[in-house]
This record gives sequence, structure tokens and C-alpha cells, in this order.
Amino acid sequence: MRRNTLGMLAYIIRRIFQSIVVLLAVGLVAFSMFRFVGDPIEQLLGQERTVQDVERLREALGLNDPFPVQYFDFLVRAAQGDFGISYRQSRPVADILLERAPATLELALVSGLLALAVGIGLGVFTAIRRDGWAANIIMSASLIGVSLPTFLIGILLIYVFGVQLRWLPTFGRGDVVDLGWWTTGFLTSSGLKSLILPSITLGLFQMTLIMRLVRSEMLEVLRQDYIRFARARGLSAKAVNFRHALKNTMIPVITVTGLQLGAIIAFAIITETVFQWPGVGLLFINAVQFVDIPVMAAYLMLISVMFVMINLLVDILYVWVDPRLRIDGRHA
Amino acid sequence: MRPFLTAALLAAALPAGAAELRYAATSDPNTLDPNAGNSAPVFSLLGNVYEGLVRRGRDMSIEPALATAWEPIGDGEGWRFTLRQGVTFHGGEAFTAEDVIFSYERASSEESDTSSWFAPVSEVVMVDDYTVDFMTTAPNPIFPDSIANWMMMDSGWAAANGAERPNIEQGNYATLNANGTGPYRVTERQPGLRTVLEAYDGWWGEDRGNVTRAVFTPVQNAATSVAALLSGELDLIEPVPVQDANRVDTADGVQVVRGIEARVIMLGFPHDADGLIAGGEGNPFQDARVRQAVAKAINVPAILQTVMRGSAEPVAQLVGEGMRGYTDGLERPAYDLEGAKALLAEAGYPDGFRFSLKCPNDRYLNDEAVCTAINAMLAQLGLEPAFETMPVANYWPTLREDDHDMYLLGWSPGTFDAEHPIRFLLSTPNAEKRLGSWNFGGYSNARIDELLPMIQSEIDDTKRQAMLDEVAQIQLDDVAYVPLYVQPLIWGVKDGVEVVQRPDNFLVLRWMNVAG
Repeated sequence: MRRNTLGMLAYIIRRIFQSIVVLLAVGLVAFSMFRFVGDPIEQLLGQERTVQDVERLREALGLNDPFPVQYFDFLVRAAQGDFGISYRQSRPVADILLERAPATLELALVSGLLALAVGIGLGVFTAIRRDGWAANIIMSASLIGVSLPTFLIGILLIYVFGVQLRWLPTFGRGDVVDLGWWTTGFLTSSGLKSLILPSITLGLFQMTLIMRLVRSEMLEVLRQDYIRFARARGLSAKAVNFRHALKNTMIPVITVTGLQLGAIIAFAIITETVFQWPGVGLLFINAVQFVDIPVMAAYLMLISVMFVMINLLVDILYVWVDPRLRIDGRHA
Repeated sequence: MRPFLTAALLAAALPAGAAELRYAATSDPNTLDPNAGNSAPVFSLLGNVYEGLVRRGRDMSIEPALATAWEPIGDGEGWRFTLRQGVTFHGGEAFTAEDVIFSYERASSEESDTSSWFAPVSEVVMVDDYTVDFMTTAPNPIFPDSIANWMMMDSGWAAANGAERPNIEQGNYATLNANGTGPYRVTERQPGLRTVLEAYDGWWGEDRGNVTRAVFTPVQNAATSVAALLSGELDLIEPVPVQDANRVDTADGVQVVRGIEARVIMLGFPHDADGLIAGGEGNPFQDARVRQAVAKAINVPAILQTVMRGSAEPVAQLVGEGMRGYTDGLERPAYDLEGAKALLAEAGYPDGFRFSLKCPNDRYLNDEAVCTAINAMLAQLGLEPAFETMPVANYWPTLREDDHDMYLLGWSPGTFDAEHPIRFLLSTPNAEKRLGSWNFGGYSNARIDELLPMIQSEIDDTKRQAMLDEVAQIQLDDVAYVPLYVQPLIWGVKDGVEVVQRPDNFLVLRWMNVAG
């Protein structure tokens, strides 16, 4: 037991160390790319600027330093929780990110739950009624979710439900309630209405992914001997399908969903742009257009921290779930 | 009789029914500090909040604002401004000459992005509480025109909040807060997301519509803002994409308002380069006949018909009609492919040559499509353009590093005067004298360089116009640039929304009326 615990601890420490190396590498690549995004001075100063203005600002922003120096400065300050000041908004990046995070996280949460609930439901349905006409229609329709770009789905939803039917708002987050440390759209009707179209747009891909995964896992499990024996014993179809079959399909589904949660947050960029959703994705797009280096740097670092953490958690969960990995921790 | 009269007076003084306007534009102003940003989005929003000594009327003419009168001092030594009395800032402070001096020091400081407006000013003198003299190094007839976007700030408010100087890189109190004398106050500011303006009851002026509250949302994606206009969630959007204009116009409940912007779109040449970056030895563009051939080979009416859907106007000079100093009667060379080919052969390039054609793809209306058409037309002429487009964030550095041959440029004269593009685009580049800072091709013409200071200091309008006409003629004959067209303004509004569209593309809320 003790040997196992120690082995696991060593494994976790090694994985954390690897994660830090990955983060530093991501940051280095990001900083070496910023110069190709453009020159922020062009965006900051108007057309009547002078050469003196340009030089003064370039010096003040530290743009004359080589990029490894800029990166090092960023790391030193970021380690102290200071992400610098946005070029676009002239205020601390950390404040802006905290302001924008609730919008993105609420959207990601709703999209994730929607994808999970509808995806599992439809997946089970299409597996049980694999030859039914409804299942066939659902399977064909799910191809749309996989193949249509998010941008187009968003525009289509806006056009149908916003412009033609006028049931739902076409952009924005509606009225939000400020809780001091968090702004939420869950407490107002316009906030809830505003969530519907963007969360469908953002979650549609994951929804179809989960649905197809559940379906194929279910079909696999339903062929197993223990299901046949359960049926032979005369258990009800409900008990067989949900208590025995579905339970055993959930492990891969949970893994994929966990990994996809990161993707939902990271790829909210397009959905947020289409719906003018005031989250961090929209902030990032604006930052790229304006060459707002501090915002781009902080966003990319946060997203990579998130992915690294999710992977780390999944790895640790695997070790916890699978005893073979625990014993052989040093060589995993 | 008496109550009736009072009611009539009240009706004249108060707006007819309070109304809210929800509007969207592509870009959010990056600051509320009138000296920390020098761009149209900043001045368009702040023009509702702050005011200058002078302002522009519906026809762009200069009219009194916080100054009631101004006159030249002596023989062109400067300008004397008489200030309006009884004006208060939104915070309640009185507006006096002290604020003018403070605003001058702030706007002309090293940290300011508007300091170039005051390059001709040698000294500012406070004569009394309501009189200020601006002394200039040379006679300056257009000084009042050049300060229409110079906004008055309260010295006490700035000092109390530590915003005595603009701070572009770090920001300060004035980045997020505003205290002007204008018809609207900023009551909510979420950068990049939402800005709310509300009518200021203590405003001194009278010429205002019925908008008492305006909610501004920047919407980057054009399809989103068009959808929000069509669904009735927005009352005004700017701009409507050229390709959507007819669809919006025919939709129920909304309409398109078209106008002409001050921005002239043109092609530039690499005048001072020894060779072309995408070609062999030598620089064929140094031969005026080659440049004339390019001007003749570009079918501007066809571009406007197909790419701009008939929305824009062709132009033969670097400013559009309606700008001060516009030259009447100039015609751009007619489309003549055979004539262009003959000119090219005469210059010694019957088989054409290779060069690069660079364009932005997110700066001007349909810029990439316009350049694609130009690329095809130049290929018809027998030239071999290496065509490349890029986002504007990369485009300006590319031009500045002289990594270009032919390029697309749009120019909106900040002073709305024909002198402006001469100073920035036609003068021989000279960093010390702050001349030719956007003359990427390094065009140089001794006569134009000689005329510019004379134009800048000529008080007599007729003589000044004659010199401006001469420069416009030189530019047309010598083809320093190929002016193509004046960019259109295309706004979408809900039925019942009345707007005034000016060539500077400012959204002036006090001239708007919302029915219902």
C-alpha cells in the first residue's frame, strides 16, 4: 500500500513537472509568433502621429526588446499574478479576463450539459431502435452537426429563430445579474433566452460526437453475453438497456466529455464572435485584430493551463481507476 | 394666451418625446480620453460627450461651439477666440479660459496622440476669463478647421482624478470616464461591450432631436449586426456590408441610408525604389508613362458597378467633393486599354513586367474584392502583378518597411481640407519637418514641396485655391497616385429613425430622431 502511494505521488510530481515544461514551451512559441500578427503601434496611434510619438510608445511598451526578453518579463510578472495592461483597453488584463470569464464559462456549461443530455438520450435511442425510421433520420441529421462549420450553424439559427420567427435574441447575453464576483445570465429571462442559440451552436458538434459514441458503445455492449443472459432471465427491456447496458458504456463517454470540455471553452471563439457573446473568446478575437499582445499572451497561457490541467486530471484518474498503472507507476 | 406661449416655448426647448436609440458599429473606441486616441471611432463617440471651441455643422462647415467668435490677430500672427459664457461641464464645473489653456497643454503634450494639431502654434495666451489667443509661427488660415476634434476638458476634474496627461499605454481615470460639456453624458462604459449615453440636461445648445438615451454595442461580425437590425433589436447599424445593402433596403421595417465618406481610395507606386521587390532590374514605375498607363487601364466605373454595387463615386484627386479646397472640373482619365498599351510600349515595356500588388483585406469596404478586380485589369494590360492581401495589422508595417511595389491606400483628410493629403501623401518624406509620413512610395516633386508652405500660410482664399488646383493638376498629370473612388457610407436604420450623415462618418446623436 505504502509503495503504491509513493509510486503514485512520484508519478503525479513527474506529470506536473512535464506540464510546466509544456506550458513554458507554449508560451515561447506564442511570443515568437506575436511579431507576425502585426505592429500594435499602428493600431494605437492615429494617422497624424509623428516618428517621435512612435518611438516613445515603442520604448514605453517594451516593444524594442527581443522577444525572449519580452517573454521572460511576461513570465516574471505572470508568476506574480500580473498579466500586464491591455493595449486595446488600457487596463489590467487580469481584470478584463475576470470580467469576461463568467460569460464564457456559463455558455460552456450549458453547451456541455446540453450535449451530454441530448447526446446520451439520442445515442441510446438510436442504438435500441437501430433500424427504426426515426433513428435513421437522427443519424443522418447528426451528420449535419459533424460537417457544418459552427459559423454557418450560428448564422442559420440566428436567421430562423431571431430574424424570421423572432423568438430569441440574435446577439448578446441579455440582462445579467451582478453578484459582485460573478455576473450571471441564469437569473433573468432575457439572459436565459440569450443562452439558447449560442449554446446549441457551440454544443452541436459535441452533441453529435457523444451521440455517435454512445450509440456504437451501446451496440457493442448489447451484443455481449451478459446482456443476452439478462434478457434470457426475463428482465425488463428498461432494466437491461439502462441498468446494465448504458452503465457500461459510460466510461469512455465520461473520458471524452471531460476532454471535450476544454475544447468547448477554447473553441467558443467562433460562437462568441457570431453571437457577439461577451466572453473571453470574443476578447481574444478582438485582441488579435488589434495586436493586443498582453491579452493574447494571457489568453493563450490560460487556455494551455486549462488543457494541461484537464490532461493531468485524466491521467491521475486513470492511475486511480486502473491498479495496473499504480503498481507500475515508475514505468508508466 | 400666456400659458399657451409658455407651452410653446417649452415645446421648443425640450425634445419632442424621449426616445432610446440602440446602435452598433464595427469598432469600439479604444479609449474615452480625447487625447489618447486619434481615430474616427473615438471622435465619433466622444463628439457627443465633449465639445471643442468650434464644431462641424451638418454640411461639415465650421460653426461656433464653446467659442462664440474667432478672428485673426493682426497680420496673421494668430487667432483670438471668444469663449461662450455660462457653459458647465457634466460634473457642474464652469467652463473658462483656464480649461482651454489646460486642454491645450494636455492635447499638445508629448504623451498625446493629437499633438500634431498644434505644431503650428507657438504660444497660447489667456487674455481674460473668456478670451484666448493662439499665436502661430506663420499665418494659418485653416487653424480653426484643424481643431474641430480638439475637445475641452475640465482642469479641476482632470487634476482631482490624476488625469492631467493622457496615458496611452497604461490608461488612467479619463480612459474609462468622461466629463465634457456636450449634449450627452457617459453613464455606463464596458470597453468592447457596451457604452450608454444619456442626455445632459444642462447643455447650453438647442439644436437637438429626441434621443435621450443611446446604447452603443460594438458588433464586429457584419452578418450579426444585419440580423439584429432586421429582427428589430437594433435601431441603427454602421456599416451595412455593400453586398447586403439591397437586401436590407427591400426588407420590411428597415432602410438603408447612403452617403459619401471623406475617404478616397487610391493606388500608390514605389517612386523612390531602385528596383521592384517582385521584378528584375530597374523600376519601370519611375516612368510617368507607365503610371499613366496604369491609370488608363483601370476601369473604375466597372469596379464600382460590380464590386461596390453602384454605391461609390469615382474621383480624380486626393480629396472628395465637399471637402474644403476641392478642385472643380478635374476628370480622371477614361478607361482606354489600347491607349494604355500604347503608353506602355512607348515607355519600353511592350511585354509588361513583374511587380507586387499588395492590399489590405480588412481595412476598407470590400478592399480585397476591389484589388482582385484591379489585379485582373492590370493583367489585361499585359503586366504581371504578384497579388497579395493581408490584414491591416500586418499591412502598415509592410508598407513602412518598403516591402511593397504597388499598393492600395485610403485617405480621409483629418482637417477636411485638400492641404491634408498634400502634407501626408505628396510631400517629400521628412521626419524632422513631419512631412510625407504616409508617402510610402517616396514621391517627390519640387513644385509641390514649394507650394505646401505657401498653401498653409495663405490667408486669401482665391490665391490659396489656385495653388491647391495647381497641386491637384500636377498629381493628375504626373500620376503620383491613381485616385479611384470615394468610399460610400452605408448605414442601416429602422423605419422612423432620422439621421444626419456626414462625410466624417460620425454618429451625431443630437441630430437623430426616433419615432414612436
